Amino acid sequence: MGAGLLIFIYLLLLISLQYIPLRNDVAFLILKENEIKNIHYQIAFFTHVYTSWFVIFFGFFQFWKTLRKGYKKLHLCFGYIYISLILCLAGPSGLVMSVYANGGLIAKTSFILLSILWLYFTYKAYIAIREKNFALHEKYMLRSYALTLSAVSLRLFKMILANTLQLPPMDMYKIVAWSSWIFNLIIAEIYIRRKFPELTTSPTAP
Amino acid sequence: MRTIFITFLLFCFSCNHLIKNEEAKVEDEVLNNTLEENKNNTSITEKPLNIKPINKAGDIIGNWVGWFRKKENSEKDYYEDKRDIHAGEGFGWGRENKICLVIEKIEGDNVSGHSVVAGNQRVFKGKISESDTSFLIIANEPGDNKYDGTFNFYANKGDFSINGKWKAFKKIEIQEREYKLSRKNFIYNSAQQLSKESYKRYIDWEKGEKEYKKPKNLTEEEGEEFFRETSEEFVSATEKIYEINASTAELTKADVENLTKGDLLIIRNMIYARHGYSFKNRPLRVFFDAQEWYIPVHTDIKKDLTEIEKKNIQLLLKYEKNAKEYYDYFGRG
Ligand code: HEM
Repeated sequence: MGAGLLIFIYLLLLISLQYIPLRNDVAFLILKENEIKNIHYQIAFFTHVYTSWFVIFFGFFQFWKTLRKGYKKLHLCFGYIYISLILCLAGPSGLVMSVYANGGLIAKTSFILLSILWLYFTYKAYIAIREKNFALHEKYMLRSYALTLSAVSLRLFKMILANTLQLPPMDMYKIVAWSSWIFNLIIAEIYIRRKFPELTTSPTAP
Repeated sequence: MRTIFITFLLFCFSCNHLIKNEEAKVEDEVLNNTLEENKNNTSITEKPLNIKPINKAGDIIGNWVGWFRKKENSEKDYYEDKRDIHAGEGFGWGRENKICLVIEKIEGDNVSGHSVVAGNQRVFKGKISESDTSFLIIANEPGDNKYDGTFNFYANKGDFSINGKWKAFKKIEIQEREYKLSRKNFIYNSAQQLSKESYKRYIDWEKGEKEYKKPKNLTEEEGEEFFRETSEEFVSATEKIYEINASTAELTKADVENLTKGDLLIIRNMIYARHGYSFKNRPLRVFFDAQEWYIPVHTDIKKDLTEIEKKNIQLLLKYEKNAKEYYDYFGRG
């Protein structure tokens, strides 16, 4: 599974590399001609595409037991990168872009909600680890990374739909805007409930 | 270290086909028209239609439109000609093209004019002779084009139509053609919309021919089934093609962002069809020829395009390119 994911992370790298050198008229930006004229959108866009890949890349290693147990320093270092990139750069910039996203109000709502949840889960994971609450930290990190992986599932779902149902592009975009992260979050919740049954039982337990 | 880096770079580029179609190219015959300046470009009469029957030689002057069909030599030809193209039930094309024959001048027994068919405009010169009941015209195209030949047609006195044959000078795939043409004048109408009545679904015939060569060992029934299935794949237009008119109003991003590749292609080329452009591209030609209002009268319409149309063409091309590059791939676009 890890290897499969690495391929997608690699494809995301290729997608992000399309914007190097910095240009306003390539790839996805063709569809954002009106937005990219604005300086605040430019800042958000390029912040997002230049930082988000590192988020998904460094996050990848964090769930790997050997690294977590054997190389604590590395886990700590990657963790700092992951959290600070999301909270300071990728998250806020994603939120700004969500307001201008394609697919009308339906897609915008989804992306705004996704950005806020992404920031929230990541922040909660940070607070948990500051308080040395490892279980809670892991729980929120699983949720945070599930949302990070929506970057993969959104593009993958779109590719599957395009090659099967061949829907009009924006109908398709609205569908994947919601399904991508909700799907991931459901998987994460199921996993969390299996792994930490005690967390889901009533809080009155000692 | 450097070799590692270079290998890595090479690897990067070798995977690009998963996120983007690097070969995507949107073809546009009109804007990229490389026709040498057409010396004999004569205007098509836009006078009110002459609906008088033919009585004297001068009555033949004008535009004649109809189907330029391949000549069937036998019944066998009619049913199983290898040159015909099938794509499932009800989507056959017997290689007919719409032709516009323009008779410009009759002086004594000399006739001259030109024809427009399949993106090809050719002049002709010949003789007219009169009998008690009809006129016979025999006229030759110049002969310096592979597809030049001889027109040979009748106009019966009292009739509203002309009919005859055409024979190529050189050996080509379809050596002989037949036609029955009636009068029709071309008038540019920016409000013209696609007609559902005379609609033939847009099918990328050529793609079908290339990629879906029918396997040899299929039974007849299986073969039918095969074509029916594959042909469906090429049809990807929605109802939007009847609603959107790219000649009358400037389109916005909201108008075009949800259109399929097929929609975009048809809406853009509909601009050209309204101007009477004669398509070289076969799938487009078959599609627009089927439209009853459509007449191919020009092979170069670049200068006829209005400002609104030029803007819309650029917008549509941009979305078509994006769709070709990214729609089927791993990405947001
Ligand atoms: C879950 C958190 C994320 C949110 C909320 C988010 C949000 C967005 C939004 C709103 C857009 C613009 C879409 C539009 O205008 O329709 C966008 C584009 C983009 N995002 Fe994200 N994003 C997230 C994660 C990521 C990740 C992890 C990557 C990793 C590489 C990434 C890479 C990109 C790229 C490259 C684009 C430009 C479009 C393209 O070329 O595909 N995003 N993102």
